[in-house]
Amino acid sequence: MSGRLLPLVAGAALSLHGTLAAAYEPRINYMLQCMGCHTPDGSGEPGRVPSLKETLAPFAKSAEGRRFLVQVPGASQSTLSDEELAQLLNWMIQDLSVTKPAGFKHFTAVEVASYRGTPLVNVQAARERLLRSSAVTVTATAH
Amino acid sequence: MKWLDSLTEGSTRAVARRTSRRGFLGSLGGFLVGTSGLPLLPVARGAQPTPDQGGTPAKPGAKPDNSQDPTSCEYWRHCAIDGYLCGCCGGSQSSCPPGTEQSAVTWVGTCHNPADGRDYVVSYNDCCGKSTCGRCLCNRNERDTPIYVPFESNDYNWCSGSSKANIPYHCSTARIVAVAK
Repeated sequence: MSGRLLPLVAGAALSLHGTLAAAYEPRINYMLQCMGCHTPDGSGEPGRVPSLKETLAPFAKSAEGRRFLVQVPGASQSTLSDEELAQLLNWMIQDLSVTKPAGFKHFTAVEVASYRGTPLVNVQAARERLLRSSAVTVTATAH
Repeated sequence: MKWLDSLTEGSTRAVARRTSRRGFLGSLGGFLVGTSGLPLLPVARGAQPTPDQGGTPAKPGAKPDNSQDPTSCEYWRHCAIDGYLCGCCGGSQSSCPPGTEQSAVTWVGTCHNPADGRDYVVSYNDCCGKSTCGRCLCNRNERDTPIYVPFESNDYNWCSGSSKANIPYHCSTARIVAVAK
């Protein structure tokens, strides 16, 4: 191989490696970023780790709920890009949630970016408020 | 039988005329030195597998490859482990020893398997309920983040998140969850 071609090929290989390393499916990103605490089926651990199964779909219906889903520390402070986080949330709502919201509006990278910069000061209070608010109707199994 | 006697005598004398005892010792010595020197020749070293044939380059003083040995810290699944290997504590790399309970919460990472060249999602479930095992400490921590980046740090006592609060940590498993793609 000629000396001039080598840096080109090396550069292409490096950039390909970069994309491959970052681009996991949403299902794998759930395993790497969420599953450790929220458990494989999203049910969490009663009293310690909140369940994702019942709350995701109702929260995704209201503007405040959508903001919460992005701003919750495990999501906003993860190493995922805005695009990856949007895809992960969409996957969770479609594949993990027990209720499927009718006419669910998909998260986009732009929407995620608009919420992500603002941290939630009191996560638990924000969650309680969402659960109480009329916009959210959670089934009796929710904790 | 006289012809046999003369044949034996004749051939023995012929050998004795052509050879000497010192000559025999000399060739035997040359043969012994030659065979002991054979592995040093480039031909012998060229017969070992090279990296592109699936082997590892033989470096002087290089450590043996333990990436496929489940009881070794160098086992490929242990790339991000931080704890005692359950395989040394009465369990295995995927099951808890008797008398302990697997923690519900866990640290999850990816490890590269050199045997098939693929990355796997590995869950490091701790086994809890007995005092610290103390054997085969393995602390490799690939992609572990410092505690101030909390969501990808493994420096927690994962047993405290088990259904029985604050039960003691015993050892760690390394279970394959999926192929990372």
